[in-house]
Amino acid sequence: MRKPTCTSTDSRRRFLGRVSALGATCGIARAVRPLPALAAAASIAPTLAANVVSAADVAKAKSEGNVMLYTSLDTKIVDAIIKPFQEQYGIKVQYYRGGSADVSSKVLAEAAARRIQADIVDASDVGAFLAMKSEDILKPYDSPATKSVAADLRDPDNTWVADRLTQAAIQWNTHLVGSAPPRHWKDLADPRYAGKLTFFSSSNGDGGPRLYTLALAFGWELLEAYAANKPLRVATPQLVTQLLESGERAAAFCTNDNIAWRSKKLGKPTDYGFPAEGVPTELGAVGLLKDAPHPNAAMLFYDWWMGETGQAILVDGGKYSSRSDLAPPSGNPPLKELKLLILDYAKYQAQRSQVLERLTQIFGGEWGA
Amino acid sequence: MAHAGTSDVPAAARDASIVVRDATRAATLGLGVAALLLFVGYPLCWLAFGALGLPAQFSLQFLVRAFTQPGNVAALANTAILALGVGLLSVVLGVPVAWVTARTDLPMRKVFHGLVGLAYILPPYLTSIAYIILLGPNAGYLNRLIAWAGVHGSRINIFSAAGVTFVIAMHVYAIPYFLAYGSLQSVDPSLEESARILGARRWTMLSRITLPLIAPAITGGALLAAINSIALFGPQAFLGLPAQIVYLPTRIYGALGAYPPRFADASALSIVLVLVTVIGLFVQRRYLGRRSFVTVGGRGARPAHHALGALRWPLAFVILVVVGLSSIAPLAVLVAAAFSKVWTDALTVNNLTLANFSAALVDNQIAARGIVNSFRLAIAAATLAVLIGLAIAYLDLRTRVRGRRLLDYLAILPLGLPGTVLAVALLQAFIRFPVAIYGTVWILLIAYVVRSMPIAVRGANGALRQVDASLEEAARVAGASWLTTIRRILLPIMRSNLMLAWLLVFIPALGELSATILLYTNGTETISVAIFRLSDLGQLEVVAALSTVLIAVILLATLLTQWLAGRSRSAVSAEATF
Repeated sequence: MRKPTCTSTDSRRRFLGRVSALGATCGIARAVRPLPALAAAASIAPTLAANVVSAADVAKAKSEGNVMLYTSLDTKIVDAIIKPFQEQYGIKVQYYRGGSADVSSKVLAEAAARRIQADIVDASDVGAFLAMKSEDILKPYDSPATKSVAADLRDPDNTWVADRLTQAAIQWNTHLVGSAPPRHWKDLADPRYAGKLTFFSSSNGDGGPRLYTLALAFGWELLEAYAANKPLRVATPQLVTQLLESGERAAAFCTNDNIAWRSKKLGKPTDYGFPAEGVPTELGAVGLLKDAPHPNAAMLFYDWWMGETGQAILVDGGKYSSRSDLAPPSGNPPLKELKLLILDYAKYQAQRSQVLERLTQIFGGEWGA
Repeated sequence: MAHAGTSDVPAAARDASIVVRDATRAATLGLGVAALLLFVGYPLCWLAFGALGLPAQFSLQFLVRAFTQPGNVAALANTAILALGVGLLSVVLGVPVAWVTARTDLPMRKVFHGLVGLAYILPPYLTSIAYIILLGPNAGYLNRLIAWAGVHGSRINIFSAAGVTFVIAMHVYAIPYFLAYGSLQSVDPSLEESARILGARRWTMLSRITLPLIAPAITGGALLAAINSIALFGPQAFLGLPAQIVYLPTRIYGALGAYPPRFADASALSIVLVLVTVIGLFVQRRYLGRRSFVTVGGRGARPAHHALGALRWPLAFVILVVVGLSSIAPLAVLVAAAFSKVWTDALTVNNLTLANFSAALVDNQIAARGIVNSFRLAIAAATLAVLIGLAIAYLDLRTRVRGRRLLDYLAILPLGLPGTVLAVALLQAFIRFPVAIYGTVWILLIAYVVRSMPIAVRGANGALRQVDASLEEAARVAGASWLTTIRRILLPIMRSNLMLAWLLVFIPALGELSATILLYTNGTETISVAIFRLSDLGQLEVVAALSTVLIAVILLATLLTQWLAGRSRSAVSAEATF
């Protein structure tokens, strides 16, 4: 358990060092590590010029004609990234979209059956990529498009690279919380939020990592207090936002920043915030499959996805890019101003079933434990 | 006739042609049988293997865990409670409504009868979405109405075990309703007459005469409703999971969605689910077997309609609320959302749009693909199922092939296999199959055909029974080949009955969710998958548009079915008077 001394909030600039110190002194958060690379994130406006650096053989890619993407990214962003690619190369991009765990379990199941149908896999779950790497189903690729992604946001063997960072935010309905919106994680533990909270996780436990991060940083009691407020649990952050927009629930913990961002941008009665005491961050990553049916088209699309154009579209959709040369989504603070908490995924992978078991005990329901 | 000169053909040649004919016959029938063994028998073996931990390693731990692990025990308990609750509630709703529509002078009873039918054809995963809009604890229309009326502390929470029970009961109460309705119409009126002459009051007569007479229909209906409720993945997922209530199908879904997917656990849980279902079916058969329907008496003498008197209109209002809540209300919510720009806003002229339909039919990749896939699959599944059903019925009724009874049982077996279980079996059977079936549209086709086998076999069986074997014999004596006999004699006579069986397969296949959600892959999304997935993505307007399209097609197909059934009944009665 955490000692209270570790929760002291420092100036934002020093948070990263603070988090690592926290890991060292309290011994809890060996699994929570800082992201020094992001401190250096520059704010260069993205250009939408479609000049793509690629190591792929474009002629071969075109003759393959198709590429199959498995992704957990919101379809509106996926559609926007695919469209100009298809127009430029005439290569059709088909995709399967599911939650992170849906995507990774599908890839692993296909690999076990030796029937890989995906060319590229993208999911907000580095743990799954570690599993895929150990199954030896990912193809190492040192893409020229990923040069501006920092070293700690990628696999040293280049089997995967982070493409985006998703922050777990607090979101609320502006009509229902009144003049005192919840700014801190502990605010939502208050009994006055009984029957008014919502959060998300599919029945396979894809919401687990961020809740575990929160528990490591602020204690399991926080989650127990949330559970005591009987939060409504839905499968996706989109449904969380829907519940808030319709006024079914007043506030949400650990929802996706980009979904909250879009809701506010569309003028819905919602707002969101990143608690200063720390924000769980999840790396989304992308990788190529070794036995991809369309290897060249896959490489080409990978370079598009990670390239300046693809990533700029991602940012336009409200996501933070992993590239150090892109600005944050409009209206959002740069990541270096946030105190980011990130799980050590190798450790999470090892403890996964115990963590999900504990979440099952706390919240009840189905966590894939 | 082309073969009029058969009798002149030398005996040797005729023998040869009989051999050839029998070879075609054997090949055709053999194909149907092989299909059944491959698609039902083989996957079921894999379900058993899987539950024993195979092919990785043999172990009984998965079966033991299915009955002992707290999460699994809770799922089993929740499922059992759901079944009991639905069985009870559907009788409480269905039987009184059946009595007033069948036996009283209630106004609008024909309308009510139709609305109960409508409640049954609306796919329950769609009504779940509608009931969330209606009965969400804080923002649901009805709850806001309750709050506005100043009734505090009495909000209805749809995200609860009671909510799941309610939504499913609002769908399956049609089963006890229709059984009780049919039974009430065939009650021998002389029994009630006697009671009345002996001075029994209406309630005494109802409870002492009428109810005991229709008791088998009520119990049978309750059991069927309960068995049905267990398998309905949609409401369990949409309404149970948010409240952290897990049922066996959602538990299995979770086990398969975990990584690595836990096939052994899913198989073991599937076996538990099959056990629950089969026990239910067994009890139902035993119960109905012991108590014969002695009610069918005076033919032509229709039981009298009771005059409700002053109660007529108040009662009609109560029935309207019950029946309307199960049919019109969810339908109206979905259709309104389908035509709204923003579903949470009121349906004013400014909020009206057709954009959701263009999104559902054209722009949205998954939705547009879903519509095409669902139609193709449902048409193919219905055609295949009826053909296989015909082969099995033919074997059963027209031949003495050994083991034909066994085949009949094998074909009925899927009745005891909820969609989730079937998917778990097929998944394991075909993921290692030499021909690529997993991850293609074929595995969905197989699932749909297997699921509809009981209906198809019964439909074909009933159709074939109506054709006297002498007609075929006559054709064959006249020299027609077996296939010609089938094509020229059997099929034309059976056409409208087969069409009926075809539609009875087509309609559920068009909206199948429980098995599809575990078997689909990129490119093979169906309407139901698109609805499930897009609903997860919060695109409720598109979901509503898709739902409206699906419901419209199902309604049309159902009306066609009704019309055909009416025609076939008259055909049968015409034959009877002959």
